[in-house]
Amino acid sequence: MTAYNLPKISNRRRLTNTITAKVIGAGGVAVIAAIVLIMGYLFWVILPIFAPTSIDVLDNVSYQPEDVLAIGSDDSFEIVTLVRGNGHVEFRNPSTFELENVAEMSAMPWRDAILVFPTTDTYAVRDTSNEVRFFRISHQVRYIDNTRTLEQRVEPVFVNTTYQLPQDTADFDVYRSDEDLRIVARRQDGSLLLAEFEEVDDDFELEFPIENTIEAPPGRYRTLFGPRGRFLFNVNEQTGDFQLILVPSVLRPRVVQSSSFAEDGKAPTAFEPLLGRYSILVGHDSGVVRQWSLSPSEIGTVFKPIRSMDFDAPILTLASEQRRKGFVAVDANNTAHLAYTTSNRVLTSIDFDAMPKLLVFSPRADRLVTYQADQIQTYAIQNAHPEISWNSLWGKVWYEGYEEPVFSWQSSSADTDFEAKFSLTPLLFGTLKAAFYAMIFAIPIAVAGAVYTANFMSPGMRAWVKPGIEIMAALPTVILGFLAGLWLAPIVEDHLTSVLLCVIVLPIGMLLFATLWSRMPSKVLSACDGWFAAIAVPVLVFFTWITLEFDQPLANLFFSGDAKTWMYEKLGLEYDQRNALIIGIAMGLAVIPTIFSIAEDAIYGVPQHLVHGSLALGATRWQTLVRVVLLTASPGIFSAIMIGFGRAVGETMIVLMATGNTPIMDLNLFQGMRTFAANIAVEMPESEANSTHFRILFLMALVLFFITFMFNTVAEIVRNRLRTRYGNL
Amino acid sequence: MATSDAVSQDLSLQRQSLLGWWRSGDPWIWLTSAAVAASVAAVLGLISLLAINGLAHFWPSQVMSIEYERFGAKTHIFGELSERESIGRRQFMEANPSYDKPVPATVERWLIKTGNRQANPPDFRWLFAHDVIASSVPQDVVVIERTEWGDAFGLLVGIKQKGEIVESEDLWEEFQARIERTASIREEIDALQEGSINGINYELESIRLEKRRRQLDDIHEFSDLEAKEERLRADYAVIERQVFDLTTQLERDTASLALADGRITDIPISTVIQAWMPNSMSVWRKLGLYCKNLWNFLTDDPREANTEGGVYPALFGTVLMVLLMSALVTPFGVIAALYLREYAKQGPFVQLIRIAVNNLAGVPSIVYGVFGLGFFVYAIGGSIDDLFFPEAKPAPTFGTPGLIWASLTLALLTVPVVIVSTEEGLTRIPRAVREGSLALGATKAETIFKVVLPMASPSILTGMILAVARAAGEVAPLMLVGVVKLAPTLPIDGNFPYLHLERKFMHLGFHIYDVGFQSPNVDAARPLVFATALLLVLIIIVLNLTAITLRNRLEARFRVSIN
Repeated sequence: MTAYNLPKISNRRRLTNTITAKVIGAGGVAVIAAIVLIMGYLFWVILPIFAPTSIDVLDNVSYQPEDVLAIGSDDSFEIVTLVRGNGHVEFRNPSTFELENVAEMSAMPWRDAILVFPTTDTYAVRDTSNEVRFFRISHQVRYIDNTRTLEQRVEPVFVNTTYQLPQDTADFDVYRSDEDLRIVARRQDGSLLLAEFEEVDDDFELEFPIENTIEAPPGRYRTLFGPRGRFLFNVNEQTGDFQLILVPSVLRPRVVQSSSFAEDGKAPTAFEPLLGRYSILVGHDSGVVRQWSLSPSEIGTVFKPIRSMDFDAPILTLASEQRRKGFVAVDANNTAHLAYTTSNRVLTSIDFDAMPKLLVFSPRADRLVTYQADQIQTYAIQNAHPEISWNSLWGKVWYEGYEEPVFSWQSSSADTDFEAKFSLTPLLFGTLKAAFYAMIFAIPIAVAGAVYTANFMSPGMRAWVKPGIEIMAALPTVILGFLAGLWLAPIVEDHLTSVLLCVIVLPIGMLLFATLWSRMPSKVLSACDGWFAAIAVPVLVFFTWITLEFDQPLANLFFSGDAKTWMYEKLGLEYDQRNALIIGIAMGLAVIPTIFSIAEDAIYGVPQHLVHGSLALGATRWQTLVRVVLLTASPGIFSAIMIGFGRAVGETMIVLMATGNTPIMDLNLFQGMRTFAANIAVEMPESEANSTHFRILFLMALVLFFITFMFNTVAEIVRNRLRTRYGNL
Repeated sequence: MATSDAVSQDLSLQRQSLLGWWRSGDPWIWLTSAAVAASVAAVLGLISLLAINGLAHFWPSQVMSIEYERFGAKTHIFGELSERESIGRRQFMEANPSYDKPVPATVERWLIKTGNRQANPPDFRWLFAHDVIASSVPQDVVVIERTEWGDAFGLLVGIKQKGEIVESEDLWEEFQARIERTASIREEIDALQEGSINGINYELESIRLEKRRRQLDDIHEFSDLEAKEERLRADYAVIERQVFDLTTQLERDTASLALADGRITDIPISTVIQAWMPNSMSVWRKLGLYCKNLWNFLTDDPREANTEGGVYPALFGTVLMVLLMSALVTPFGVIAALYLREYAKQGPFVQLIRIAVNNLAGVPSIVYGVFGLGFFVYAIGGSIDDLFFPEAKPAPTFGTPGLIWASLTLALLTVPVVIVSTEEGLTRIPRAVREGSLALGATKAETIFKVVLPMASPSILTGMILAVARAAGEVAPLMLVGVVKLAPTLPIDGNFPYLHLERKFMHLGFHIYDVGFQSPNVDAARPLVFATALLLVLIIIVLNLTAITLRNRLEARFRVSIN
């Protein structure tokens, strides 16, 4: 280097050079990292779904009193509530178990304390004189001098008035709706006393009950209210026999099912209703826990076994979660198994020291409290997303209240005891259905258009047509969706016959016109060669107009008057105004430019000497096209279709606006669908951050990402190969 | 292929028998041409559909007086004909099974906009041509555009001031004068609202936050803040009083309007935006009104749940978001492209990245929206709130969808476009140019800044414009990261720091979705949606055409410069 007389580079310039290299290097890597981050982040959000469940002992304290009737806690498990037989409600620190507060509610001892169904804070207590009274426990967060304190209150409900149960009451249950209060008492002879207080507010007195007695067999039964208080479950704990009683009103109860939970002649060993009491979990001596759910049948709603889980030892105790459909089952070896019904998953297990007398989940199901003779134990549970399993995402699931296993997507509802249905299959089906019909519409037009534009169009016209169609690619899809939903859909519905017939009429009309045109003097023909497309526009518009204009006569001719009715009666096809046909057309228009542009490039790039050779050998233009040009360009056309498909799969606004967005699985051209993309757009803004629903929506985004990424990559590789091949030809 | 056409033409254009013509396969070529024709027709059709429906909305169309009879009852209405169509008898009978008169084979039906939503709902109704007994075009029908209840149609019969009838030579002139008076009062009120009241509220909110911040820092000295707060509240009371006085003045006048059925309805002039008599206007006057309406559409705020009025906030939001996005995307896109092409060692790894970047352009936009919501809004925005805005908690500041997150998300969405386009430009610059610069003693940085980048500028610009065009039309991701149907304030206003990046904003595309699909009165909203759609399409087409022309022009210059 020194041999040359190079000018010396000043330090400043050298520094600028280095800094630029560093900045560009760092910036470039950062941008590329950001792109990789997208995928990584989606993964990262989804990952907790697959996190294993864990349960660990948290605290273990000795607690001598043996009269604990019920255990509860506040939402975040900062305080534990004990309802005791001496009429006291104790509030204790969950880890040290120190007494923080006590409410002395009654001087008279209490026999039972039950949570009023379906509330989570109101207790019904029965004292030794068989009077039932009600109180509510509330926890309020307050800031005093900027320190957070949790205040407990125990308030009597119904102005501390009571309901007198018969003196021979063995067992009772209470149901509370917004207006009404229902009480059922099972007497020694087995008969059930039903009482109802209508339109009773929390600060009203309990008076004027409507009462009625139902005859029922004697025995050691347990009686519970079912969903919305409209059912009574009467289950014999010794034999497993049960009656399902429908109670539309207290005065007109009706036994709808008398059957047995027993299996192989053996009585079940444990019962527990699941959240919302649409199902009962039944534990057996064989170690099986079977879920019986209220399902529709020919004779009305009855209990049906819908799923079972197998454990090793006889199941003796069951407890269910307060906000989800999960439960814990304790077997004869004192092993507790955490499980979830919807996903049919046994999550984890832990060994207890002894069989607990009481077993209670905290409201968020992140703590489990057990109470046995002289001690109270708390367990910490990490179990954020038990609803998810491979089967619950993709397979058929038998949900509560369904006649059979189904694919269903229904992520939320107004009810708190709702069983979320997270099957991705109907949405995947909808996504593919929408893309499929769009491709059926787009491929013939786009590929044929590309063939003509690349091969036969005059260069002058091509210079206009190609950018013109490409501008269509930039057309906002929200506009296509708007036109499809509000303008096209009603037109198609009113002119269904003509729209369907257009598929046949337009090509035939075009061929007819072409035949006539071919008889024109050759001067005209040669002058117009390459401008066929321009001539075809008015012809096409004319035939479309004619077909639309004669909609009614055509409908009379082919569909005896009305296409919709005909299809429904003859083929059983239902018709939605916003359906797959509309999507096919609108989304087809959105992907035509993409397919057209890439396919046209591929066809245009076919080396000239191949074409010349073919023509020179006497092949006609069409033969050359089909056997030489298309064959050579076929990988390019294939890749164009792949990219178009990728676009159709992820398109959001058109589907959102031009279908009803119902997640049904039906290939019917005249019904709608719900796609991944539309579903995300609809549900994401309402989804609570980091909930299972939120993470599943991310999973959908990731699935979309992978589908499109895969298709695009394949297309890209095919195109690169083709480029090399053209170079070698 | 163009050259081969000449050859093939001669072969195919020899007069053939019909059978021969069919056998040659030429009919199928016709079919392929029909495919092109269909695509072209679709593009042209779509744009003209938008143009016709969107532009017609602003024309002061004539108001007819129609008397019709149905089920024995006669009704007399004023209204604009907004649609007419023919339906078959069968379809008619299905829709009106209890119709009592003989029905012709095809029924012509008219959609009439009757306005007067408060006095005579509904404001759109279908009439059957054969029900109409009499129709005319009365010269003196007045159309009143109002801030509430939509348009009113009727005959102006009187004006009242504080309930007293006003005697006047020329009622119409009087009416116009009073409309002008209320308009100027309304402007004053708006100025107070937007200027002073918003400013005071903004300052009061900052004081509240400042107090909270001090509490969090364990400082319990608020006297300066409280003094300021008191002063602001005093100012507020004064302005509130002014507004109250103005509002009383505003509500002074009412106009009495006779409806078609003879009822008289009083319309407060405070709600009147403008009034005109379409049937006695000349074409030129109509044209003037048309231009005014068009201008109002672009510059007014929306009214009545977005179904009337203008789209100014949406237009403003779209443009601002796109500007922010391009300010973010261009430097990063260019730097990434420079890195990939000029600095990174070319090899299979860089090739892989290139394919990945290319493919990202094909990833659905909603996926970016999901990413933006999770990563930008919740993760980054949430952390910013924790660090810098603890006083506002639990209300989020940046941890909620907003302008900045929308711009960032769209920047990420469009960065592949800029990278691909810039790289294309960089590839096209001959090696010789770079080597020449280096040989003359320039450093690599100097070569890039003074030679390579200027030569690649057309491609960079093209990439940027294409990115802007794509971003302007995207709606799906924005629904997750910051767009709302009605934003109370614009993201730019007179309160420090003037540009409020955390605010939610309105967007033309979302406006179309929201008004077209979520509004209760679709018939009334539809023309406005068409107009908005046309506006958006025009913006995007203009941007795309600019990109294409710019590329062609600069490419031509560039070619000359290297030869």
